[in-house]
Amino acid sequence: MSSSRPVAFAGIAAFAAALGVLPIVAGPYPVSFAFILLITFVIAQSWDWVNGQMGYLNLGHYAFYGIGAYAFCLLLIRGVPLAPSFAAAIVVAALAAFILSFPLFRLKGDYFAFGTLTIVPLCELLASNLTEITKGSEGVTLPPNYVLIPAYYMAAVLVVLTLATTWWLMGSRFGYAIRAIRNDEQVAEVCGIRLFPVKVLTLGLSAMFAGLAGAIQAWQFSFIDPYTMFNLSVALVPIAAALLGGSGLLLGPLIGVILLSSLQQVLLVKLSMLQGAVYGLVIVVIGRFLPGGLLRWRVIANNKRLAWLARESHFEGAPAMAAGDHAALPLRAPDLDKSKVVLRCEAATMAFGGNVAVREVSIDVRQGEIVGLVGPNGSGKTTLFNLISGIYRPKGGRIIVDGQDISGLRADEIACLGIGRTYQIPRPFNELTVRECIAIGRSFGRGAVPLREAMQSAEAFARFVGLGAQIETRADKLSLQQKKALELARALAGEPKLLLVDEVASGLSINEIRTFVEHIREIRDRYGITVIWVEHIFSALARVVDRLVVLDSGSVIADAPLQEAVKDERVLATYLGHSNEKDARKEKRA
Amino acid sequence: MSLLNVTNLAVAHGPLQALWDISLKIEPGERIGLLGANGAGKSTTLGAIVGYYPTMGGRIEFDGCDITSDPVPSRLARGIGLVPEGRRLFTDMSVRENLEMGAYLAQPRKQLAQSLAQVYAMFPVLQTKSAQAAGTLSGGQQQMVAIGRALMSRPRCLLLDEPFIGVAPIIVQEVMAALRDIAQQGITILLVEQNTHRALEFVDRAYVIENGRSVLEGTRDQLLNDKSFGAKFLGLD
Amino acid sequence: MSIDILVQVLLSGLLLGGIYALVAFGLSLVYGVANILNIAHGTLLAISGVVASLIFAATGWNPILIIPLLVLPVFLFGYLFHAALLRPLASRGKHDETIGTVLITVGSLIMMSDITGVVAGTNQQNIPVRSEILEFGDVIVPLTQVWILAGIIGLTIILHLYLKYAWFGRAVRAVTQDPLGATICGVNGPRAKALTFAGGSGLVAIAGVLYAMIYPVDPYMGFSLTVRAFTIIIIGGIGNLAGAMIAGIMLGVAESFTAFLWAPKWAPAISVVLLLIILVLFPRGLALWKRA
Repeated sequence: MSSSRPVAFAGIAAFAAALGVLPIVAGPYPVSFAFILLITFVIAQSWDWVNGQMGYLNLGHYAFYGIGAYAFCLLLIRGVPLAPSFAAAIVVAALAAFILSFPLFRLKGDYFAFGTLTIVPLCELLASNLTEITKGSEGVTLPPNYVLIPAYYMAAVLVVLTLATTWWLMGSRFGYAIRAIRNDEQVAEVCGIRLFPVKVLTLGLSAMFAGLAGAIQAWQFSFIDPYTMFNLSVALVPIAAALLGGSGLLLGPLIGVILLSSLQQVLLVKLSMLQGAVYGLVIVVIGRFLPGGLLRWRVIANNKRLAWLARESHFEGAPAMAAGDHAALPLRAPDLDKSKVVLRCEAATMAFGGNVAVREVSIDVRQGEIVGLVGPNGSGKTTLFNLISGIYRPKGGRIIVDGQDISGLRADEIACLGIGRTYQIPRPFNELTVRECIAIGRSFGRGAVPLREAMQSAEAFARFVGLGAQIETRADKLSLQQKKALELARALAGEPKLLLVDEVASGLSINEIRTFVEHIREIRDRYGITVIWVEHIFSALARVVDRLVVLDSGSVIADAPLQEAVKDERVLATYLGHSNEKDARKEKRA
Repeated sequence: MSLLNVTNLAVAHGPLQALWDISLKIEPGERIGLLGANGAGKSTTLGAIVGYYPTMGGRIEFDGCDITSDPVPSRLARGIGLVPEGRRLFTDMSVRENLEMGAYLAQPRKQLAQSLAQVYAMFPVLQTKSAQAAGTLSGGQQQMVAIGRALMSRPRCLLLDEPFIGVAPIIVQEVMAALRDIAQQGITILLVEQNTHRALEFVDRAYVIENGRSVLEGTRDQLLNDKSFGAKFLGLD
Repeated sequence: MSIDILVQVLLSGLLLGGIYALVAFGLSLVYGVANILNIAHGTLLAISGVVASLIFAATGWNPILIIPLLVLPVFLFGYLFHAALLRPLASRGKHDETIGTVLITVGSLIMMSDITGVVAGTNQQNIPVRSEILEFGDVIVPLTQVWILAGIIGLTIILHLYLKYAWFGRAVRAVTQDPLGATICGVNGPRAKALTFAGGSGLVAIAGVLYAMIYPVDPYMGFSLTVRAFTIIIIGGIGNLAGAMIAGIMLGVAESFTAFLWAPKWAPAISVVLLLIILVLFPRGLALWKRA
């Protein structure tokens, strides 16, 4: 972000100045319109932190606005001074977000959207029914006071804060955690990001801004009631605005709010009825034709003068290394103790329904070993990886890393203990660049260095796997082979003690396979990382592994040094596919 | 005239191209293998032949007719059947309902009773479990249902995608025998199989694909004697 | 509380629950087959109820005659709605599809309510059928309610048999359980989705008429019904009619008792609170998550 920093500062400063001057040069009507615009923007933008950045479609965001408004008004009429009442609006909204996080974040995708949609009606119900506290459906009236100008300035300050927060999120470690979650929650966790607190904080942050916006608007309105505060069709307007502009883009919500609020003003003036219907139509049209938003529309994205509006925000840094430099990875090389067991599986078992995918697997892996894990498709190799990396919790048995039982730990805790993994089908963070993907692994894993440093050292990892030239390329633009390389770089960046490599060689040429084998050897010899490698292409494994573990139907059928394992009849039958299967099976039964 | 003729087939999944150049030529009654590493494009090839992946380029002919842009049902009606990767059964429906779904199209529907009897004759265990939910069967029995379901549409050409995954070794021979039986009835078979030895035991001829391209074709004996093939797929170094 | 009042409350809960279950059937089938969470589903019930009330007020026809009059247009509307708005979303990415679906169904909800409000008025309406009274000791039951209950049970049985034995009904279940498996059996997926969407809409129109015969309806009440239907399928499982029936009746009875023992104004809160509690207590245990 370094090069865009002055530009962004200048932009925010100019915007702030314009907001400050408006009430001096304009009359009450433009000011009150601008006020509504500012409030709507705060709601839309704070909503977009959860949707555009984190990927959770929260349709109940408006409830936080209403909750803030209610908290503020109810305290104010009970004689609490202004400042603490505003503070209370923020606190109560955040508290509501915290409590709601527990049920809501159990849901994913459209279920999350639906679950959140129930919140606004629930709040309306509470506001109308808890008459003792909220005065029910007759609403709360504040003492009449003309506060448009101070409310406007408060809203303006809040808008500047909102923009600054958005901009901070785009470039900060926390922001990258959020965007990692949006792109692939499981991989984010495997990188060492603890999901739930990040989600709660993001929802809480967005609720605080919406709550304060509600309080400011209620102050200016001087009247609230359940119907206006928790009206479902009004509730969706800021969301529609953010989506109209372009969710997740720096300027998307701002432009959407300006367009939609202007439309609203026109409708109010021109139409005496059916305003809701026209709104609904606008929302339907956005959903049908532009779910990515106006700024992602081809006409704008391809227009030279307008393209900057739709700019994505990525970390930009000057290359720290000369081209062709094959520098050392910034990893600590521990002293190897070849007798020390890094990973021990004790009768680890995993079943899905009645289907036992991993059956009482017991293996020991010692420091500095390279172990090949082989077996036919469906034999449980990937499931075993999922058990070790904490994606699944074993149904039976134990998994011990460096003497510590990890069977009950979360995937992020296991990642921070030093277990890294790649995925057979690559799962990069698609909307981020190669540098960012690697830096997330580096910034949250066992190494956990600050983001800036991680961004810089990402380059060494990218070069190590041959992605030096693609460092600023978005991950979804890479070829399959490059994505596989990125998987390895991302996993290495987390400074693992034990690296689980899931099928990298398939699809590579003979020369590429040789290079890759050398990488694996170097990872072990130079950085002391223990490796378990699942691979189908046997000739690749044969070049580097010390030991072969063979799985079939979820059970270990062989665990021996390479030379012995390839002579084992059962291994030949089930994995290498020896023609004499019947003899092998007799032996197995015997 | 060949039964299935695929020329220069190219397929993309969204922005990612999966197949670049696949060509296969299969005569009626042949048993053909389709070999290659994970991710080489074997399943995508079958999916494109049966029609659930749209083609980007190339041509698919079945029985002399160009079916490249036909929808799935019309290809099934012409006589292509698929036993998909992962079986894809309707797990909460009974075995019998699963099999009957295989005869969903108008023509096979008329011969439902007869087809069902034939499948039960081939896999007697399915008849004894006909009322049981398919999801409660063992892996091997589920595979039998998947094969049976594909046979219910009375295909002339059966495509099988790794039919031995998750099948206990004891059952493998039973399924293999069923496939021989099917081939003997004159049904052309295109078999995708990971275990090269096992595949070569069954097929007359095989194609090898790599990175979405067909790179090698030969009869069983030609392939067994091919050095580069042996190194890559037979574990001979 | 005397036993006759208890029976009375229980009966009205049963009735309410039966109607909820009908609403949930449609939502559940549509979600199972087409993966569309139709947020406007309940609104369709509200509007059908309002229209049926207007027809009844104007003509005085037997509500049983009004049902077919409504179902056909609503069925067609559902088909076109799916074809024109929802089906094109399938070619987009997952996140865009979710956002698109939510925006389209929410936008239609707002539009449909507003237009109906303008055309038919925002007042509550109903179908005031005069009914004979059945007396069992102290328990008084209007005959209409018995007929409605019988109708709901009959409809559920027909639907169940259709899904179990009819070719298209089986195709619907097949698509729900494994879309790719259904495709390679020759099921035309897009058509099955559109027809299921249309069928679910038709079903909710029937529920709308039945609902208006017992309770007042207005154009804006629909969403709260969608919330209840959603709660029901979370408890009962996607595409599981028996589960939806049981869950619907549980919810209806719970609401009846809440209204009676506490206050009617709290009855609508039950489903939301129940939903939130279930989400906290059974994050994995429910049928819903097995599919996801």
